[in-house]
Amino acid sequence: MKTLINILMDIDDTVDWEKEQALIDDHILDSFGVITLVSELEDAYSIEIEAAEMVPENFNSAAAIYRMVTRLQET
Amino acid sequence: MRDFKQTLKKVGGAALFLAILALLLGVLSRGVTDLVTKNDDLVPTRNKSTVKIRQEAGQTIDVLIVGDSLSYSSFSPMQLWNSHGMAAFVGGQSGQTIQESYYMMKTAFQKQSPKVVVLETNVIFRAKEGLDGIGESIRTCAGYYFPVFAYHDVWKSLVTGKRWTAEDYKGFQFRNTVTPYMGGSYMTVSRESRKISPVVKVYLEKIIKLCEKKDAKLILVSIPSPSNYSLATHKALQAYAKNQGIPYTDLNLFLKELKIDWQKDSLDGGDHLNLSGAGKVTSWLGNYLKKTFSLPDHRGEERYAAWENMAKKYEKRAKEILENM
Amino acid sequence: MAYHTPVYLLLFLPAVLLAYQITPQKKRWLLLLGASWIFFWSVSGKLLIFLIGTILFTHYIGLGLETLKSRCRLEAGKPENDRKQIQALFKKRQRLVLAAGIFGLLAVLGYLKYYNFFAQNVNLLLEKAGRPALLTAKNLVLPLGISFYTLRAVGYMADVYWERTSAFVHPGKLALCLSFFPQLMEGPISSYSQTAGDLWKGSPIRSENLAAGAWRILWGLFKKVLIADRLNVLVKAVFDQYESYGGVVVAAAAVAYTVQLYMEFSGAMDMIIGSGRMFGVSLPENFRQPFAAGSAAEFWRRWHITLGTWLKTYVFYPVSTSRIVKKWNRFGKNHAGKYVTKLGVTAICLFPVWLLNGLWHGPRWSYIFYGMYYFTILLCGEALAPVRERILKKWNISEQTVWWAVPRRLKTWVIIVVGELFFRANGLKAGLHMFVSIFTDFRPEKLWDSTLLNLGLDSGDYLVILLGCAVVGIVGVVKEHNLWKEENTKRFCAPIRWAACYGLLLAVIIFGAYGIGYQQVDLIYAGF
Repeated sequence: MKTLINILMDIDDTVDWEKEQALIDDHILDSFGVITLVSELEDAYSIEIEAAEMVPENFNSAAAIYRMVTRLQET
Repeated sequence: MRDFKQTLKKVGGAALFLAILALLLGVLSRGVTDLVTKNDDLVPTRNKSTVKIRQEAGQTIDVLIVGDSLSYSSFSPMQLWNSHGMAAFVGGQSGQTIQESYYMMKTAFQKQSPKVVVLETNVIFRAKEGLDGIGESIRTCAGYYFPVFAYHDVWKSLVTGKRWTAEDYKGFQFRNTVTPYMGGSYMTVSRESRKISPVVKVYLEKIIKLCEKKDAKLILVSIPSPSNYSLATHKALQAYAKNQGIPYTDLNLFLKELKIDWQKDSLDGGDHLNLSGAGKVTSWLGNYLKKTFSLPDHRGEERYAAWENMAKKYEKRAKEILENM
Repeated sequence: MAYHTPVYLLLFLPAVLLAYQITPQKKRWLLLLGASWIFFWSVSGKLLIFLIGTILFTHYIGLGLETLKSRCRLEAGKPENDRKQIQALFKKRQRLVLAAGIFGLLAVLGYLKYYNFFAQNVNLLLEKAGRPALLTAKNLVLPLGISFYTLRAVGYMADVYWERTSAFVHPGKLALCLSFFPQLMEGPISSYSQTAGDLWKGSPIRSENLAAGAWRILWGLFKKVLIADRLNVLVKAVFDQYESYGGVVVAAAAVAYTVQLYMEFSGAMDMIIGSGRMFGVSLPENFRQPFAAGSAAEFWRRWHITLGTWLKTYVFYPVSTSRIVKKWNRFGKNHAGKYVTKLGVTAICLFPVWLLNGLWHGPRWSYIFYGMYYFTILLCGEALAPVRERILKKWNISEQTVWWAVPRRLKTWVIIVVGELFFRANGLKAGLHMFVSIFTDFRPEKLWDSTLLNLGLDSGDYLVILLGCAVVGIVGVVKEHNLWKEENTKRFCAPIRWAACYGLLLAVIIFGAYGIGYQQVDLIYAGF
């Protein structure tokens, strides 16, 4: 989780990442942010994020992102 | 039971809403109609004849002519007056549709009881087909029952002070230029008969019924116009008129008798006639009406004093224009 | 039978509503489907087979994908098989089926919509090379809304592939989803899961929905008939005779077209969403106060939202997670530094999005230019982002201060208007000519001498346009700041609500740009 927050802070350090619950729906994380995040996540956790994962539910909160990462690490 | 009451309440609410709406539109329509009838300059040229017919004194018109631009370029009521004392009015509009012809007649019948109604046949081939036709029917019907739809733009004339003036003689307009028609004879090629669209047939039947009800004799006339008529249109109209038992005259077949000279009588190379051509066509119409129907000669009647004045003015203007053409 | 015509509003819609209500709930989907196909047929006639063909094709591709998925699960579950290997194998097969599906749909769309454009340009190239023309133009007629339903069908296939939706459903459900008549002509480009539930339910018509839907339709009519159709007179005059105008007149016409397009498209959307609402179907919104956007990127999140969402979901994200981007990322991080890498990713992902956005609007170079225009602007926006942030930090400016926000919004407006100028111009050449003429022949005095009054609109018209825009603007501000909720209307008593309704209705009837002196203006987006 710590790594994740660090990555997120790198993208924008003015957001309270652990609190926000609608990162996509409220446009806090725009599509450019998402693709930057995806490439960072892939490097940091050595996972492959496929197009199928690109849904708001996976990116709306730090917790959701973390859930997706752990799920992808398992398979 | 409670459900039923609820539904009833809702339906009642909707009905009340529509009733108030109809009332509002009715009041507005009445106001707008009064306004434009008092001053037809507020209305753009195309709608003028629908206002002008409202302005005529009640029970004065004996012959009502409807149609598109062919009608008001070719049939001159003032000439009919000068030669026979007939009281005719042209309720024509540029590009008039059959629906508009029908509601023009209905508007006229509100205050007038014409003995003869002349329908210039080009409207029959100006059909909007299918859904467009239904749309046109809705538009004209709404415009008739709630004239606020037809004259809604009048606020603009009031706000901007714009006025639409036109020289007008009971619906007739002077057409004073010459562009000869060079195409030669056009009623020779015998092709199949042109189809009359179903929408048009519906409205033709409405027109026939309306005239029957109002005790007016309906006649169909095709004005000489190479651009619009052919043997195909002739066949279609001939067959239709015969079937319905309506008199039909296709003047395109009587060019010699009418002495139509395409070098002189055409306004725009075969579409409309100019004043010179109109004189010839109107002269035929006068004789035809006189021969077929016993129409009163109103000359000298006090009720028609304004007609006398207009006729004098018309004669002078027509002479000027013909000399300069 | 466009949504603003009396035939639709006074005959078709009420008739379908009535028939819907008296049909038993379980059969209502059939009624809606039948009505939708009649609607389609009334415009495109026999071309209805294209729609039905698309539905069947999409349905079977979906079934194919779904079958592969369940077989994959079955095979992978067997202990003797290597799970990963099986999954990879089936993934490959699924990808093939999906590719075939998308290719099939796009081939039809591409052939009907772009063949002549392609032929023309091939011939032009051949001519330049001194060879005779090879391809002849064909008389191709586009089925109603093919650009819209094709995208929805492609979206459905991808959704099945990504397991966002299941294809094991009644084919009628998909058919209804792809053909629902309010959406046929110009979207919104909804996804299957957005509307399928509501459509399939066949819930009874409720008076609240009926009233809210009618309001929405009336509001759309106000925008379209009062403002857009009136502006069309001026827009048409200038854009059709663009050589005769220059400078400030062209600029004014570009602004007028931008407003016209917004009023027309969002107005049609109001009528569409209102129609859907009457049947209890909530269609996704397509506009969210686009002129309140602070940047071009934000504008596209507020303008034609469903097209943007579609492109983001089915083009942008797939490209951004593709192997090319991943390779570039690896390469870039080792050789080019973070900034360049990120910019490269942005360019790779944005290019296809904007190429398709332009092309989707139609087979014209000016549309492709329009797409590339936004591609360039958005890429520049990303490239300059660090500079912007540095400035903000250095001078300690908040993004909300007037001195920052207002110029930013004005800049966005200029970007939008220039884009729409090229979008509307009769070809790219005309667009460039018009754009250049703004600067070479500015002459601001034309704004207040009588030039603008000689373009078909008189002072009364301008007054109505300004007042109408003011009303729409105020409503926009209220919506943007969430100052009003639909429930609030209930607090007013019926007479006030009715009076408001009569007011709007009479405004449309009296001040609408219809009848003599105006042309019936077809829905602009129905032509795309």
